[in-house]
Amino acid sequence: MSRKGSILLTTILSAALALPAASFGADEGLQQKVEALSKEVKALQQQVQSQKEGKKRISDWLTIGGDYRFRVDSLSAKVPSHFAFADILAWQLGGQVGPPPMRQAATVENDVLYTNRFGLNLKARAARDVTVTARLLMYKTFGNGDSTATSGTFFADRIGVFDGTQGHVPGDGKLTVDQVFATWSNILDQPIWFSVGRRPSTNGIPSHLRQNDERPGVSGIPALLVDYAFDGMTLGYAPDIEALPGAYAKLCYGRGFENGFTTSSSANTNLRDTDMIGISVVPYDTDPLFLDVQYNRGMNIFDFPVFAESTLGPLRPAADLGDIDWLGVTALSTLKKTGPGTLNLFASAAVSKTHPNANTVVFGGVDTGAGLLHSGVVESKTGNAIYLGARYDITATRTKIGAEFNRGSKNWITFVPAGDDIWTSKLGTRGNVYELYAIQEFNAAPISSYVSKTFFRVGFQYYDFEYTGTNNWVGAPVKISELTASPLNAQMLTPLSRATDLYATLEVKF
Amino acid sequence: MRRFTAVSLLFAVLAAALCAPVPASADEIKMVGVITKIDIAGADAKTATVTLKDNKTGEPVTVIVNDDLTLDKFKDHRINPGDEIRLKYEVKDGKNVSRYFRKTAGC
Repeated sequence: MSRKGSILLTTILSAALALPAASFGADEGLQQKVEALSKEVKALQQQVQSQKEGKKRISDWLTIGGDYRFRVDSLSAKVPSHFAFADILAWQLGGQVGPPPMRQAATVENDVLYTNRFGLNLKARAARDVTVTARLLMYKTFGNGDSTATSGTFFADRIGVFDGTQGHVPGDGKLTVDQVFATWSNILDQPIWFSVGRRPSTNGIPSHLRQNDERPGVSGIPALLVDYAFDGMTLGYAPDIEALPGAYAKLCYGRGFENGFTTSSSANTNLRDTDMIGISVVPYDTDPLFLDVQYNRGMNIFDFPVFAESTLGPLRPAADLGDIDWLGVTALSTLKKTGPGTLNLFASAAVSKTHPNANTVVFGGVDTGAGLLHSGVVESKTGNAIYLGARYDITATRTKIGAEFNRGSKNWITFVPAGDDIWTSKLGTRGNVYELYAIQEFNAAPISSYVSKTFFRVGFQYYDFEYTGTNNWVGAPVKISELTASPLNAQMLTPLSRATDLYATLEVKF
Repeated sequence: MRRFTAVSLLFAVLAAALCAPVPASADEIKMVGVITKIDIAGADAKTATVTLKDNKTGEPVTVIVNDDLTLDKFKDHRINPGDEIRLKYEVKDGKNVSRYFRKTAGC
């Protein structure tokens, strides 16, 4: 064999040996492609089959969102000299020996309080025009599995956690159902809806501004009148009126206390269920102007809600004290492109009027003589409150700076125990409250949802209490400066003359 | 009894609403549908093209939205694909022009 022949043979043999391997490699690639295509076809077939069977992807019918908040508070307050109800009672029973015992002024502090709050939101489109919405909440202090660190003897809404405040004041760290309701929309092809369940009756307008939340839609409630986790129902109508863009009206109902079974001899036989009805009319709902007028009536108001644990011990309703009427109006304006950002302004005003009966609170076997905002003479009381504020959003830096002020009169009483404040829900204050805050959002592209965001918030609250009984409808208010004028001004709860809260948060909304 | 009356009243109003259909105007088309696509050109856009899937027919419907209030909601992502919308539109020069565009009410 010539040399050329040997080379040619070697080349051919090499090629022949290499061919199957190359062919096998090509086959393997082809095989993989075929398998991948087969899988895709199978997936498509399953998708088509699922659609035929009415099945959908989870994202077609379920929306998941939520939030996490880390918060640190530095709290300080001043207790004025005062007579305490228990001391005066003991002094009277002891024959009134010596001068009536007076508690001296003191300072109350908690330098550093850390809390965790986690919320999980779910919205399921169950069927056409039918949705179920839920919000689960966990709120606890660092280092505690109960509410003792944030419960005091200062304010009725913060002596413990009860049904209307679960998840809104620090508690035992369990995930509770803050909201769950079914909504039937587009009733008879009209913009009418009916919704029933545990209501979105907290964090209303305009408190969403300081929370850096989206503005509540038609589910919103006026923060000055209601901030209470209610079980109830709503019937709403949003007509198309060209001159009144965004207009809607709602009839709302909520149950604040269920009395349960009664017999002629049971302890609760003289009690009645506590209910609230409300009529909300929003004639105008646009960015530049939002207007809301709301009337509420609370019926058969209890003396205490059910507290499994409180700083006064376990409590439950023992007396129906009467009814309360409220009327409020809220205006909110969002003015875009005002300088380098957006200016948000709001004003809210409300009046409350009590309709007491003759019932009074019996505590520890002693009739305190205190009824619905009265001590002694049974009379109706009228109170009022205002809530003003502004927030400026600097677009370029994602910075938001806000200031708020609210004032409640001597006989102001509202239904806002779930307010997002540590000392006491500020909108129930009988006196003045000032708050300044700044929000700095991260410049991070949202991933989980269009509204997801991460931000720091730093704020300062200053409470200037003028009368006792903030957020408490039991007993007549007493002017703070007159607490020592007479033993008759003795207080069940420890009064505060002023309080401050310097707070900071890190919040993630997803 | 008073509470029972209040709850009964609520249901009575609901029943009355169910029995009171409102007629539609002849020159406008009303529909309820879910947004499948929003085309809007930037933050200064003065118009948007929105495609919705009609709840009743399942057919896609494309409308032009020109009003600033709704455009702001698109830009701020207060209205997004997947949202159910109650809308009213009229046909002008072969195009569906929105006259009312609002998320279906309910809470």
